[in-house]
Amino acid sequence: MSMAYSVSDLILIAGAYLLFLFLVAWITEKGWIPARLVRHPAVYVFSLGVYASAWAIYGSVGYAHAYGYNFLAYFLGISGVFLLAPILLAPILRLTTTYQLSSLADLFAFRYRSRLAGALTTVMMVVGMLPLLSMQIKAVAESIQILTGEPDPAWVAFWFCLLITLFAILFGARHATARERHEGLVVAIATESLIKVAAFAAVALIGLFGVFDGPSGLGLWLDQHPEMLSRLYAPLQDNTWHSLIMAFFVSAVVMPHMFHMAFTENLNPRALVSASWGLPLLFLVMALCVPIILWAALASNATTSPDYFTLGVGLANGGGGAVLGYLAGLAGASGMLIVAILSLSGMCLNHLILPASPLNSAQDLYRNLLWTRRVLIAAILALAYVFYRLAGPNHSAVELGVLSFVAALQFVPGLIGTLFWPSGNRNGLFAGLCAGFAVWLAALLLPMIYPEWHAQHLVEMFGLRRAEGMDHWNQVAIVSMVLNGVVYAIVSIVTPMSRAERTAAEACAVDSLRRPYRWDLSAQTVDEFVTALSGPLGPGTAAREVDMALGDLQFHANETRPYALRRLRDQLETNLSGLLGPSVAHQLMDDNLPYKPQDGESSEDIQFIESRLEQYRDRLSGLAAELDSLRRFHRQTLLELPMGVISLGGDGEIIGWNRAVEHLTGIDAEHTIGSRLAHLPAPWGDLLSEFGRGEAMHEPQRHLEVDGQSRWLSLHKSLIQSPGPSEQAGGLVLVLEDITELRQMESHLAHNERLASIGRLAAGVAHEIGNPVTAIACLAQNLDGECDREEQNLSASQIMEQTRRITRIVESLVTFSHSGGVRDTVQGPVNVAAAAAEAIALLLLDPDHRTQRFENHCAPDLEVVGDPQRLLQVFVNLLGNAADASDPDEAIRVASEDHGDKVRIQVEDHGHGVPEELRAALFEPFVTSKPPGRGTGLGLALVYSIIEDHQGTVWVESPIDGDRGTRFIIELPRFTAGALSTY
Amino acid sequence: MYTDRLLIIFILGTYLLSPSLIDWWSEGGRAWYRPYLVWLGLIALSYWIARSRDVDGL
Repeated sequence: MSMAYSVSDLILIAGAYLLFLFLVAWITEKGWIPARLVRHPAVYVFSLGVYASAWAIYGSVGYAHAYGYNFLAYFLGISGVFLLAPILLAPILRLTTTYQLSSLADLFAFRYRSRLAGALTTVMMVVGMLPLLSMQIKAVAESIQILTGEPDPAWVAFWFCLLITLFAILFGARHATARERHEGLVVAIATESLIKVAAFAAVALIGLFGVFDGPSGLGLWLDQHPEMLSRLYAPLQDNTWHSLIMAFFVSAVVMPHMFHMAFTENLNPRALVSASWGLPLLFLVMALCVPIILWAALASNATTSPDYFTLGVGLANGGGGAVLGYLAGLAGASGMLIVAILSLSGMCLNHLILPASPLNSAQDLYRNLLWTRRVLIAAILALAYVFYRLAGPNHSAVELGVLSFVAALQFVPGLIGTLFWPSGNRNGLFAGLCAGFAVWLAALLLPMIYPEWHAQHLVEMFGLRRAEGMDHWNQVAIVSMVLNGVVYAIVSIVTPMSRAERTAAEACAVDSLRRPYRWDLSAQTVDEFVTALSGPLGPGTAAREVDMALGDLQFHANETRPYALRRLRDQLETNLSGLLGPSVAHQLMDDNLPYKPQDGESSEDIQFIESRLEQYRDRLSGLAAELDSLRRFHRQTLLELPMGVISLGGDGEIIGWNRAVEHLTGIDAEHTIGSRLAHLPAPWGDLLSEFGRGEAMHEPQRHLEVDGQSRWLSLHKSLIQSPGPSEQAGGLVLVLEDITELRQMESHLAHNERLASIGRLAAGVAHEIGNPVTAIACLAQNLDGECDREEQNLSASQIMEQTRRITRIVESLVTFSHSGGVRDTVQGPVNVAAAAAEAIALLLLDPDHRTQRFENHCAPDLEVVGDPQRLLQVFVNLLGNAADASDPDEAIRVASEDHGDKVRIQVEDHGHGVPEELRAALFEPFVTSKPPGRGTGLGLALVYSIIEDHQGTVWVESPIDGDRGTRFIIELPRFTAGALSTY
Repeated sequence: MYTDRLLIIFILGTYLLSPSLIDWWSEGGRAWYRPYLVWLGLIALSYWIARSRDVDGL
């Protein structure tokens, strides 16, 4: 075997490779790669290829050599996880994005509402990952040793660790928090996977075509060496297969580098669907290469240990094959190391460092976090290096890796509890984790570091026989996980659970909706939020965080609605959780923005539940979807109800505000929901809160001035029974009805009714008075001329004069009484100008009006629909009134205007006007401004009546000219060819 | 929301079928690529489900 490579060459390749990856990350973050490409699902799929560490490149070939087809478990485990992605991973992704959780420790700390859960998970994760991290270091160092013949790989490992530390800081720790997603890192890791898979496949192709002359040659060789196939199949009958699959299945979710790439750095949630088939395909390609490389190495008598057959194939066949193998291994190891260490450093920061050190507002928070994170990266890599020096030289890469995969199994019960069992509690988690981890530590880890340590007693305690190699770890895996799960379940069942934990558990559980309670906050304004957070965070950071949370929610800074402030608090906690970890963020909010102490039960936050339901809509199926449709139907019914409906929670918060109320009040639901009635703008705030508090359940007629307009409302309220059996206060529903139009119509009807009854009265009076008056007139006529005395004749003629006057009054009463009611009228086109002219001519016959100046400005061609005689009456009455009110030299003007399908006629004078006290009742019978004896007060009532009969309207404006003048305005339907048919 | 049931059926089904699946696999002889074919079939199924699924739920 020729040693064509020097250590410096290979270190240089490593440096150049990492620099290339960094450049890829850098140009991505500069925005030089189109966002469409960066967010393409393929980038996400390849970035998840980070799972294929040095284990996949080197270890799996060695594993296949020793344990046959069991090597597939590594690839099938992760494929299984992603094939089930929509069921298994989507809920976790939803939780991590909703609550800004960046690691498994964050998830546990959030779910179990416990700092200790986060800290414990972090410590165990760091310890559990050390073997896998050191395996990567070992793989790179030994691959360099194999290629160069360098006797001491330890110093190579040291330099490699330094290089990785530098790049880990460059890649991921340039920002303070895991909150910003690192697009650069994602693209770099995707590139890394692409290079890794391509190089690995190239080695396999070199084996297939260089050693076997293609697939047929391989088939021939397998025919000649049937023991190769039987060695591959034999271990399948072992019982290790199931626990292997299980271990790899779990590690694909819980291991920090996988969790980080799959959830924290997920740039596009839909990419998870593509990954459900894309990632299994990627690993299928890699797994297909493994047996080919194994057989090629065996066929070409590779001299390396089976763990490094990937290099051996290249070395045995010359060319660049060995470098390709090295590059694949380097890519796998460095990618996994960088991502895992970034993630572990974030976990340590959030769960070990920050909870232990109080926040100091005097220093720049973001800068402190950044430097602490960098120190942690270096520290974790140093630990991995130390572990490599302790255990690396005496144990194979496979042994080291398996140790970590069994450790990952310890997080299974806690994760199942998070997703599927809301009753699991933190005590159960602690007890289970400690039990499982203790077994792992005593039976696997310690024997590896201290060979003199024997876990014999421990293994025998569980009634198991002492086993070696894979059987041993298989036993430990099963025992530790079963013990962990049983302890978790039992302790969870027997110990109580806090309310905060139960709320978080329900938020996490698949298929459950969080049912938050409405608690009042002590802070009442956004400014108070900033002040409260300035203590721990410093004023600058506090203001920035509050602004960011407001921006996320699209709320204004002047928000005072209790609902909005609660959402703001949640959002702040979520954002700070991304910055400081969920336990520190939760504690910080509890300390600085506490809820007010509650007396009794609070009401459920129905508004929030509804908004969550809206988001969940697509995930509902079967009965749940049916119920949701029903809910939507009822909700829509309430919303579209033509009556205003306002529903209030038990604490007086507005939780429903339908369209009719929006229309009635002019206030949007969006600005109202979550506030209280008293906070509504005037006059609604006072009106509604007073009615809501009051004893009366109904207020049928409530007058209100809105924007200077008179409005009439009918108010009703009803108590909503609390849905549960509890005694807690239910809500209130207010129903508002706008009865302004109804009131107007009522007064209109009353007026018409009054006119009609007066008409009937007038007819009776006219009939009863007419006969005696006629008799009196006849008698007076007889007297006139018959008497000798002049005085008597004068009296007789005065009696006749007075009876004529009575007759005129009676006639006008008769006319009035005939004006109401249905009768045969002549309907036809009436020329407005002609009718006005005729009325003017009639009035000029009257000696009182002979000198009056009338001006007829009516358009000569405008025609209305109506009875010419009755409309003439209208003109005579209006013009006569105008003449009575005016001085003889004042002009009286009549004009018409075209208003589409209506004609507007105006009669105006410049006389003394209508006294204010008469204006409202001007069209009532017997209302007149004329001196007694001059008018009956029936003229305008008659006009009103006639215009009503003609489907028209009449109203008066007075004064029109300073303090004088009156204008009567009449609107009548315009005559068109088809107009008559509507009558 | 029947995902839980689906998951349980899938896991139970896999567990029940696995011995016969492994037997079939072990009898492969020269057809050592048998597991890869099953695997490819699963990927195709997953691809088909992903294509027809309403991804709004994610």
